Amino acid sequence: MGKIVFAAAMSHVLDPDYYQAACGLSGRRKVEACMAEIGKLGDTLLAHRPDALIVVADDHLNAFSFNAVPAICVRIGRDVNRMIQDEAEAFDKVLDGMPERYALHEELANRILEDGLGAGFDLALSWEAPIDHAFLSPVMTMHGARPVTPLVPIWINCFVAPQPTPARCFAFGQHLARVVARSPWNVGIIATGGLSHFPELLLPRVGESDVVFDQKLLRWLTEGEHEPLRSLTPGELDKAGEHEFLNWMALIGAVTPARADVRYFGELGRINLAAVEWRVG
Amino acid sequence: MSRYAVNSLLYRLKKDRVFRTRFNVDPEGALAGLDLTDAERAAFLARDMQRINALGGYLHLVMSVPGMAAHVTHPEPE
Repeated sequence: MGKIVFAAAMSHVLDPDYYQAACGLSGRRKVEACMAEIGKLGDTLLAHRPDALIVVADDHLNAFSFNAVPAICVRIGRDVNRMIQDEAEAFDKVLDGMPERYALHEELANRILEDGLGAGFDLALSWEAPIDHAFLSPVMTMHGARPVTPLVPIWINCFVAPQPTPARCFAFGQHLARVVARSPWNVGIIATGGLSHFPELLLPRVGESDVVFDQKLLRWLTEGEHEPLRSLTPGELDKAGEHEFLNWMALIGAVTPARADVRYFGELGRINLAAVEWRVG
Repeated sequence: MSRYAVNSLLYRLKKDRVFRTRFNVDPEGALAGLDLTDAERAAFLARDMQRINALGGYLHLVMSVPGMAAHVTHPEPE
Protein backbone atom coordinates (compact mmCIF):
# COMPACT_ATOMS: atom_id res chain seq x y z
CA MET A 1 0.00 0.00 0.00
CA GLY A 2 1.37 3.37 -1.00
CA LYS A 3 1.76 6.33 1.25
CA ILE A 4 2.28 10.06 1.15
CA VAL A 5 5.55 10.24 3.07
CA PHE A 6 6.19 13.98 2.79
CA ALA A 7 4.10 17.08 2.12
CA ALA A 8 5.15 20.70 1.96
CA ALA A 9 4.25 23.96 0.27
CA MET A 10 6.50 26.87 -0.49
CA SER A 11 7.00 30.06 -2.46
CA HIS A 12 8.43 29.44 -5.90
CA VAL A 13 10.44 32.40 -7.10
CA LEU A 14 13.63 31.41 -5.32
CA ASP A 15 16.16 33.81 -6.78
CA PRO A 16 18.16 36.12 -4.49
CA ASP A 17 19.20 38.32 -7.42
CA TYR A 18 15.57 38.87 -8.41
CA TYR A 19 14.57 39.89 -4.91
CA GLN A 20 17.59 42.12 -4.45
CA ALA A 21 16.73 43.93 -7.69
CA ALA A 22 13.07 44.26 -6.70
CA CYS A 23 13.28 44.82 -2.95
CA GLY A 24 16.90 45.54 -2.02
CA LEU A 25 19.11 43.64 0.40
CA SER A 26 16.20 42.86 2.68
CA GLY A 27 14.59 40.95 -0.17
CA ARG A 28 17.77 38.99 -0.83
CA ARG A 29 18.18 38.06 2.82
CA LYS A 30 14.60 36.92 3.23
CA VAL A 31 14.57 34.75 0.14
CA GLU A 32 17.90 33.24 1.14
CA ALA A 33 16.45 32.40 4.56
CA CYS A 34 13.37 30.88 2.92
CA MET A 35 15.54 28.87 0.53
CA ALA A 36 17.58 27.52 3.44
CA GLU A 37 14.40 26.14 5.01
CA ILE A 38 13.25 24.71 1.67
CA GLY A 39 16.64 23.02 1.37
CA LYS A 40 16.04 21.39 4.76
CA LEU A 41 12.63 20.25 3.53
CA GLY A 42 14.48 18.62 0.64
CA ASP A 43 16.64 16.74 3.12
CA THR A 44 13.50 15.48 4.85
CA LEU A 45 11.93 14.46 1.55
CA LEU A 46 14.97 12.53 0.39
CA ALA A 47 15.40 10.81 3.76
CA HIS A 48 12.10 9.06 2.97
CA ARG A 49 13.60 7.73 -0.30
CA PRO A 50 10.46 8.64 -2.26
CA ASP A 51 9.56 6.85 -5.48
CA ALA A 52 7.91 9.96 -6.89
CA LEU A 53 7.34 13.64 -6.15
CA ILE A 54 4.00 15.16 -7.12
CA VAL A 55 4.43 18.88 -7.80
CA VAL A 56 1.23 20.94 -7.89
CA ALA A 57 1.95 24.33 -9.41
CA ASP A 58 0.68 26.83 -11.95
CA ASP A 59 1.50 28.01 -15.43
CA HIS A 60 2.62 31.63 -15.73
CA LEU A 61 1.10 31.87 -19.21
CA ASN A 62 4.04 30.03 -20.65
CA ALA A 63 2.97 26.47 -21.39
CA PHE A 64 -0.71 26.81 -22.30
CA SER A 65 -1.13 30.34 -23.57
CA PHE A 66 -3.47 30.73 -25.37
CA ASN A 67 -4.47 27.72 -27.38
CA ALA A 68 -6.10 26.22 -24.31
CA VAL A 69 -6.02 26.84 -20.58
CA PRO A 70 -6.78 23.64 -18.65
CA ALA A 71 -8.32 23.93 -15.20
CA ILE A 72 -6.22 20.99 -13.99
CA CYS A 73 -3.67 19.24 -16.17
CA VAL A 74 -1.52 16.16 -15.53
CA ARG A 75 1.83 15.93 -17.30
CA ILE A 76 2.31 12.41 -18.61
CA GLY A 77 5.13 10.79 -20.53
CA ARG A 78 8.61 9.68 -19.59
CA ASP A 79 10.31 13.05 -19.15
CA VAL A 80 9.68 16.75 -19.18
CA ASN A 81 11.73 19.68 -20.39
CA ARG A 82 12.15 22.92 -18.58
CA MET A 83 10.91 26.06 -20.27
CA ILE A 84 13.51 27.72 -22.47
CA GLN A 85 13.05 31.49 -22.59
CA ASP A 86 15.42 33.47 -24.76
CA GLU A 87 16.48 36.84 -23.31
CA ALA A 88 14.73 35.85 -20.07
CA GLU A 89 13.70 38.65 -17.73
CA ALA A 90 12.51 38.82 -14.14
CA PHE A 91 11.20 35.53 -12.69
CA ASP A 92 12.04 33.61 -15.88
CA LYS A 93 15.78 34.09 -15.35
CA VAL A 94 15.95 31.66 -12.44
CA LEU A 95 15.59 28.79 -14.94
CA ASP A 96 18.80 29.67 -16.76
CA GLY A 97 21.47 27.10 -15.99
CA MET A 98 19.11 24.42 -14.69
CA PRO A 99 19.15 20.99 -16.38
CA GLU A 100 16.92 20.88 -19.44
CA ARG A 101 15.26 17.47 -18.91
CA TYR A 102 13.74 15.68 -15.89
CA ALA A 103 12.42 12.15 -15.47
CA LEU A 104 8.73 11.64 -14.77
CA HIS A 105 7.04 8.90 -12.76
CA GLU A 106 5.01 7.80 -15.72
CA GLU A 107 2.89 5.14 -14.06
CA LEU A 108 1.78 7.30 -11.15
CA ALA A 109 0.89 10.13 -13.52
CA ASN A 110 -1.13 7.76 -15.67
CA ARG A 111 -3.02 6.44 -12.65
CA ILE A 112 -3.83 9.95 -11.44
CA LEU A 113 -5.14 10.79 -14.89
CA GLU A 114 -7.04 7.61 -15.69
CA ASP A 115 -8.51 7.08 -12.24
CA GLY A 116 -9.34 10.79 -12.11
CA LEU A 117 -11.42 10.61 -15.27
CA GLY A 118 -13.14 7.55 -13.84
CA ALA A 119 -13.87 9.41 -10.61
CA GLY A 120 -15.43 12.41 -12.33
CA PHE A 121 -12.45 14.78 -12.59
CA ASP A 122 -12.32 15.99 -16.18
CA LEU A 123 -8.57 16.36 -16.18
CA ALA A 124 -6.52 17.62 -19.09
CA LEU A 125 -3.35 15.84 -20.08
CA SER A 126 -0.19 16.94 -21.78
CA TRP A 127 2.77 15.09 -23.26
CA GLU A 128 4.64 18.23 -24.25
CA ALA A 129 4.08 21.13 -21.89
CA PRO A 130 7.36 22.37 -20.39
CA ILE A 131 7.66 23.33 -16.74
CA ASP A 132 8.69 26.77 -15.55
CA HIS A 133 10.01 28.22 -12.31
CA ALA A 134 6.84 27.28 -10.43
CA PHE A 135 7.99 23.66 -10.60
CA LEU A 136 11.73 23.79 -10.95
CA SER A 137 12.75 26.51 -8.55
CA PRO A 138 11.44 24.59 -5.50
CA VAL A 139 12.46 21.19 -6.90
CA MET A 140 16.03 22.27 -7.51
CA THR A 141 16.27 24.13 -4.20
CA MET A 142 15.15 20.95 -2.45
CA HIS A 143 17.42 18.57 -4.35
CA GLY A 144 20.51 20.71 -4.87
CA ALA A 145 23.16 18.57 -6.55
CA ARG A 146 21.37 15.33 -5.68
CA PRO A 147 19.46 13.30 -8.29
CA VAL A 148 15.98 14.70 -8.82
CA THR A 149 13.13 12.44 -7.69
CA PRO A 150 10.91 11.32 -10.62
CA LEU A 151 8.29 14.02 -10.93
CA VAL A 152 4.55 14.14 -11.52
CA PRO A 153 3.86 17.75 -12.55
CA ILE A 154 0.28 18.91 -12.18
CA TRP A 155 -0.88 22.34 -13.26
CA ILE A 156 -3.77 24.20 -11.73
CA ASN A 157 -5.05 27.28 -13.54
CA CYS A 158 -4.46 29.95 -10.91
CA PHE A 159 -4.50 33.06 -13.09
CA VAL A 160 -6.84 32.90 -16.06
CA ALA A 161 -10.42 33.46 -14.91
CA PRO A 162 -12.52 31.47 -14.41
CA GLN A 163 -10.29 29.35 -12.22
CA PRO A 164 -11.33 26.13 -10.46
CA THR A 165 -12.70 26.71 -6.98
CA PRO A 166 -10.65 26.05 -3.85
CA ALA A 167 -13.16 23.34 -2.92
CA ARG A 168 -12.62 21.61 -6.25
CA CYS A 169 -8.84 21.74 -5.83
CA PHE A 170 -9.24 20.26 -2.34
CA ALA A 171 -11.39 17.44 -3.77
CA PHE A 172 -8.78 16.79 -6.44
CA GLY A 173 -6.17 16.51 -3.69
CA GLN A 174 -8.31 13.88 -2.00
CA HIS A 175 -8.26 12.01 -5.31
CA LEU A 176 -4.45 12.20 -5.32
CA ALA A 177 -4.37 10.66 -1.85
CA ARG A 178 -6.66 7.80 -2.93
CA VAL A 179 -4.48 7.04 -5.96
CA VAL A 180 -1.32 7.00 -3.86
CA ALA A 181 -2.98 4.77 -1.23
CA ARG A 182 -3.88 2.22 -3.92
CA SER A 183 -0.36 2.28 -5.34
CA PRO A 184 2.80 0.50 -4.18
CA TRP A 185 4.81 3.74 -3.92
CA ASN A 186 6.10 6.13 -1.30
CA VAL A 187 5.23 9.55 -2.63
CA GLY A 188 6.17 13.10 -1.72
CA ILE A 189 3.92 16.01 -2.65
CA ILE A 190 4.65 19.70 -2.81
CA ALA A 191 2.47 22.65 -3.74
CA THR A 192 4.17 25.84 -4.82
CA GLY A 193 3.51 29.56 -5.06
CA GLY A 194 2.39 32.32 -2.78
CA LEU A 195 1.84 33.50 -0.36
CA SER A 196 0.12 36.86 -0.91
CA HIS A 197 1.40 38.90 -3.86
CA PHE A 198 0.20 40.72 -6.95
CA PRO A 199 -3.39 41.40 -5.76
CA GLU A 200 -5.91 41.51 -8.61
CA LEU A 201 -2.96 40.91 -10.99
CA LEU A 202 -2.73 44.66 -11.49
CA LEU A 203 0.63 46.28 -12.13
CA PRO A 204 -0.05 49.30 -9.88
CA ARG A 205 -0.60 46.89 -7.00
CA VAL A 206 2.69 45.03 -7.42
CA GLY A 207 4.42 45.69 -4.12
CA GLU A 208 1.33 45.05 -1.99
CA SER A 209 0.81 41.87 0.01
CA ASP A 210 -1.90 40.93 2.49
CA VAL A 211 -0.20 39.79 5.67
CA VAL A 212 -3.47 39.50 7.59
CA PHE A 213 -4.92 37.12 5.02
CA ASP A 214 -1.75 35.05 5.04
CA GLN A 215 -1.77 34.79 8.81
CA LYS A 216 -5.39 33.63 8.71
CA LEU A 217 -4.50 30.92 6.20
CA LEU A 218 -1.47 29.78 8.18
CA ARG A 219 -3.47 29.63 11.39
CA TRP A 220 -6.03 27.36 9.74
CA LEU A 221 -3.23 25.17 8.38
CA THR A 222 -1.42 24.80 11.68
CA GLU A 223 -4.68 24.07 13.51
CA GLY A 224 -5.86 21.60 10.86
CA GLU A 225 -8.98 23.69 10.23
CA HIS A 226 -9.66 22.81 6.61
CA GLU A 227 -13.38 23.53 6.34
CA PRO A 228 -12.99 27.33 6.18
CA LEU A 229 -10.43 26.91 3.42
CA ARG A 230 -12.92 25.01 1.28
CA SER A 231 -15.32 27.93 1.51
CA LEU A 232 -12.87 30.41 0.02
CA THR A 233 -13.75 31.77 -3.41
CA PRO A 234 -11.51 32.60 -6.38
CA GLY A 235 -12.66 36.21 -5.97
CA GLU A 236 -11.38 36.38 -2.40
CA LEU A 237 -8.08 34.87 -3.46
CA ASP A 238 -7.77 37.39 -6.32
CA LYS A 239 -8.33 40.40 -4.05
CA ALA A 240 -5.79 39.16 -1.51
CA GLY A 241 -3.18 38.14 -4.05
CA GLU A 242 -3.58 34.50 -3.07
CA HIS A 243 -4.10 33.11 -6.58
CA GLU A 244 -1.52 30.36 -6.12
CA PHE A 245 -3.14 29.11 -2.93
CA LEU A 246 -5.23 26.94 -5.26
CA ASN A 247 -2.13 24.75 -5.59
CA TRP A 248 -1.91 24.54 -1.81
CA MET A 249 -5.58 23.54 -1.66
CA ALA A 250 -4.87 20.42 -3.70
CA LEU A 251 -2.09 19.46 -1.32
CA ILE A 252 -4.30 20.15 1.70
CA GLY A 253 -6.95 17.85 0.25
CA ALA A 254 -4.31 15.16 -0.19
CA VAL A 255 -3.18 15.28 3.44
CA THR A 256 -6.30 16.36 5.33
CA PRO A 257 -6.74 16.36 8.32
CA ALA A 258 -2.99 16.67 8.94
CA ARG A 259 -1.74 19.77 10.69
CA ALA A 260 1.06 21.92 9.32
CA ASP A 261 4.17 23.49 10.79
CA VAL A 262 5.37 26.82 9.43
CA ARG A 263 9.07 26.50 8.64
CA TYR A 264 9.43 30.04 7.33
CA PHE A 265 7.31 33.14 6.90
CA GLY A 266 8.85 36.40 5.78
CA GLU A 267 7.00 39.59 4.96
CA LEU A 268 7.91 41.56 1.88
CA GLY A 269 5.70 44.08 0.16
CA ARG A 270 6.51 42.24 -3.05
CA ILE A 271 5.41 38.86 -1.72
CA ASN A 272 5.14 37.10 1.59
CA LEU A 273 7.59 34.21 1.41
CA ALA A 274 6.66 30.94 3.05
CA ALA A 275 7.68 27.34 3.57
CA VAL A 276 5.25 24.99 5.32
CA GLU A 277 5.44 21.26 6.12
CA TRP A 278 2.57 18.95 7.03
CA ARG A 279 2.74 16.21 9.66
CA VAL A 280 2.12 13.17 7.51
CA GLY A 281 4.54 10.75 9.15
CA MET B 1 -13.78 41.73 -26.52
CA SER B 2 -10.19 41.65 -27.67
CA ARG B 3 -8.65 40.50 -24.41
CA TYR B 4 -7.61 37.37 -26.27
CA ALA B 5 -5.92 39.47 -28.94
CA VAL B 6 -4.01 41.48 -26.33
CA ASN B 7 -2.75 38.40 -24.55
CA SER B 8 -1.96 36.35 -27.62
CA LEU B 9 0.08 39.32 -28.86
CA LEU B 10 1.91 39.56 -25.55
CA TYR B 11 2.56 35.84 -25.66
CA ARG B 12 3.92 36.06 -29.19
CA LEU B 13 6.17 38.96 -28.25
CA LYS B 14 7.55 36.88 -25.40
CA LYS B 15 7.99 33.58 -27.18
CA ASP B 16 8.69 34.46 -30.82
CA ARG B 17 12.06 36.14 -31.15
CA VAL B 18 11.60 36.86 -34.88
CA PHE B 19 8.26 38.56 -34.29
CA ARG B 20 9.68 40.48 -31.34
CA THR B 21 12.52 41.77 -33.50
CA ARG B 22 10.06 42.76 -36.22
CA PHE B 23 7.95 44.62 -33.66
CA ASN B 24 11.02 46.46 -32.39
CA VAL B 25 12.01 47.52 -35.92
CA ASP B 26 8.57 48.19 -37.42
CA PRO B 27 5.88 48.21 -34.72
CA GLU B 28 3.09 49.53 -36.95
CA GLY B 29 3.81 46.87 -39.54
CA ALA B 30 3.98 44.10 -36.94
CA LEU B 31 0.58 45.08 -35.55
CA ALA B 32 -1.08 45.54 -38.95
CA GLY B 33 -4.07 43.29 -39.38
CA LEU B 34 -4.31 42.29 -35.73
CA ASP B 35 -7.73 42.48 -34.08
CA LEU B 36 -6.91 45.28 -31.64
CA THR B 37 -8.92 48.29 -30.56
CA ASP B 38 -7.45 51.72 -31.14
CA ALA B 39 -6.61 51.97 -27.43
CA GLU B 40 -4.88 48.59 -27.44
CA ARG B 41 -2.91 49.39 -30.55
CA ALA B 42 -1.83 52.74 -29.10
CA ALA B 43 -0.71 51.07 -25.87
CA PHE B 44 1.47 48.58 -27.72
CA LEU B 45 2.96 51.26 -29.95
CA ALA B 46 3.79 53.26 -26.82
CA ARG B 47 5.16 50.08 -25.19
CA ASP B 48 3.07 51.10 -22.20
CA MET B 49 2.85 47.89 -20.15
CA GLN B 50 0.83 49.55 -17.40
CA ARG B 51 -1.83 50.50 -19.94
CA ILE B 52 -1.68 47.07 -21.58
CA ASN B 53 -2.24 45.48 -18.16
CA ALA B 54 -5.17 47.82 -17.54
CA LEU B 55 -6.62 46.76 -20.90
CA GLY B 56 -6.55 43.09 -19.90
CA GLY B 57 -2.98 41.99 -20.50
CA TYR B 58 -1.99 39.40 -17.94
CA LEU B 59 0.42 40.61 -15.30
CA HIS B 60 2.97 37.83 -15.68
CA LEU B 61 3.30 38.60 -19.38
CA VAL B 62 3.64 42.36 -18.98
CA MET B 63 6.36 41.67 -16.42
CA SER B 64 8.35 39.25 -18.58
CA VAL B 65 8.32 40.15 -22.29
CA PRO B 66 12.02 40.58 -23.12
CA GLY B 67 12.91 44.19 -23.76
CA MET B 68 9.46 45.49 -22.85
CA ALA B 69 8.88 44.06 -19.38
CA ALA B 70 7.62 46.37 -16.66
CA HIS B 71 10.12 46.28 -13.82
CA VAL B 72 8.55 47.45 -10.59
CA THR B 73 10.91 47.94 -7.69
CA HIS B 74 10.16 48.91 -4.12
CA PRO B 75 13.16 48.65 -1.83
CA GLU B 76 12.33 47.48 1.68
CA PRO B 77 13.91 49.02 4.78
CA GLU B 78 16.96 47.14 5.99
